[in-house]
Amino acid sequence: MIRLSPQIRAGIQRSTLPALIVLSGAMLIAGKADQTMFETLRTGLSDVTAPALDVASRPLGAAEAALDRVRGFIGVYHENRRLEEENRRLLQWQQVALKLTTENRQLQGLLRVVPDRAVSYVTARVIANSGGAYVRTVMINAGSQAGLARGQAVITGDGLVGRLTEVGGRAARALLITDLNSRIPVKIEGSSTGAVLAGDNSERPRLLYVGAPETLKIGDRVVTSGEGGVFPPDLPVGMVSAGPSGPRVEPFVELSQLGHVLVVDYGLSGALPQPIPPAVRSGRKGKAATSEEAQAPAQPPR
Amino acid sequence: MALREFTAPELPRVNSSAARLVPTLTTIIAALVAILPLQIPGYVAITPALALMAVYHWTLYRPDLLPPYALFAIGIGEDLLTGSPVGVGALTLLVTRAVVLRSRRHFVGRTFPAVWAGFTLVGGGIMLGVWALHCLIEFSLLNPRNVVFRMVLTIAIFPVASFLLGRIQRALIDGPRLMHRR
Repeated sequence: MIRLSPQIRAGIQRSTLPALIVLSGAMLIAGKADQTMFETLRTGLSDVTAPALDVASRPLGAAEAALDRVRGFIGVYHENRRLEEENRRLLQWQQVALKLTTENRQLQGLLRVVPDRAVSYVTARVIANSGGAYVRTVMINAGSQAGLARGQAVITGDGLVGRLTEVGGRAARALLITDLNSRIPVKIEGSSTGAVLAGDNSERPRLLYVGAPETLKIGDRVVTSGEGGVFPPDLPVGMVSAGPSGPRVEPFVELSQLGHVLVVDYGLSGALPQPIPPAVRSGRKGKAATSEEAQAPAQPPR
Repeated sequence: MALREFTAPELPRVNSSAARLVPTLTTIIAALVAILPLQIPGYVAITPALALMAVYHWTLYRPDLLPPYALFAIGIGEDLLTGSPVGVGALTLLVTRAVVLRSRRHFVGRTFPAVWAGFTLVGGGIMLGVWALHCLIEFSLLNPRNVVFRMVLTIAIFPVASFLLGRIQRALIDGPRLMHRR
């Protein structure tokens, strides 16, 4: 170790705190100017801490399951009655569905419809959330090793949760639809009215730029429109509800109680462009230009 | 600005290197517990600022054992893991240290209500400051409702955190005698 005179050492000790405060401020500004700056650090740290967070979040899941079981025992009689009733109803629907599937297949055969793309799912567990008032993200315990990629849709059985924004080897981060930076093209189910679902960190995201606001009704179902190519069309998102400043959407998914989620690969993940470091960005038109070039290599360079 | 204000005062030396790590470790644990997915509706938005409590406690009683660079590392780690803008967490914890060091002499050795009142002022002020900082970063007026809830919850939980940290401190660092001296 280097020997320093007591005065110098005291000087260093005194200036550490102000120096680090200035450094944090500088990092904040630098990170704001270039969003990609800390991306590798983020995914790296997520990968390293994922196993620990995974283990730490397990007892919580177990406790929740135990509580659920107790609740289940209490309501078992009524639950059984309800399920029998529902089962009767669903059996009828099953008949209808089978009939429609057959009919649909025949009609598609007649019209030569191109079938929807194959979909693959990865189930992952939520191991950490953002724990604060300013971002809405969750970390899940699967990453590129499980085949996940940036931009893939994250859903549960109830509807849309968000999309993957950072993917490491063993962990990935999903930006929830309620986050301040989330913008999703949606439409009102059964109509062509388009809108943009804009998160503002509250539990109910806002509905902006509604195509035909006069037709909007409270309780209308909102689904993804598929515009922009990030999400496939018709994923259920939520229901229209009233807000103090314009319409809002009550998500179908209870986003504060995410346990397991499904990451869906519709083969669309190329649509969310990778962030481009500023060195490359200057002199180019922008993100869109690069992805277009990647998709159309046959075009001659301008 | 007198730099002397930002230095830790002389405190009885702790020889066990394991004990010297206790403040840093408890602060890391506090930061990690805050991001565990508790399945309580609406909890995420109002998660109490646990790391802030740990930093307040240790800066008050053992500022020598929770050095600025540890706070910097914990804050940056917190930002990276939660997906917040990198630097906010570090800035929060470091400014907390600066504020507590300056006002330390008003609280140390006082009864618990004084310490709690101190946390209400310092912690509440810091959390409001963080809200203003986020408004500036996002360039929009963020809804202060959750921030207020979060502040109230953090201040309300502080006695529990303080009790636990005090117990840990007495058992592992001070031995039973030194807790309320200085």
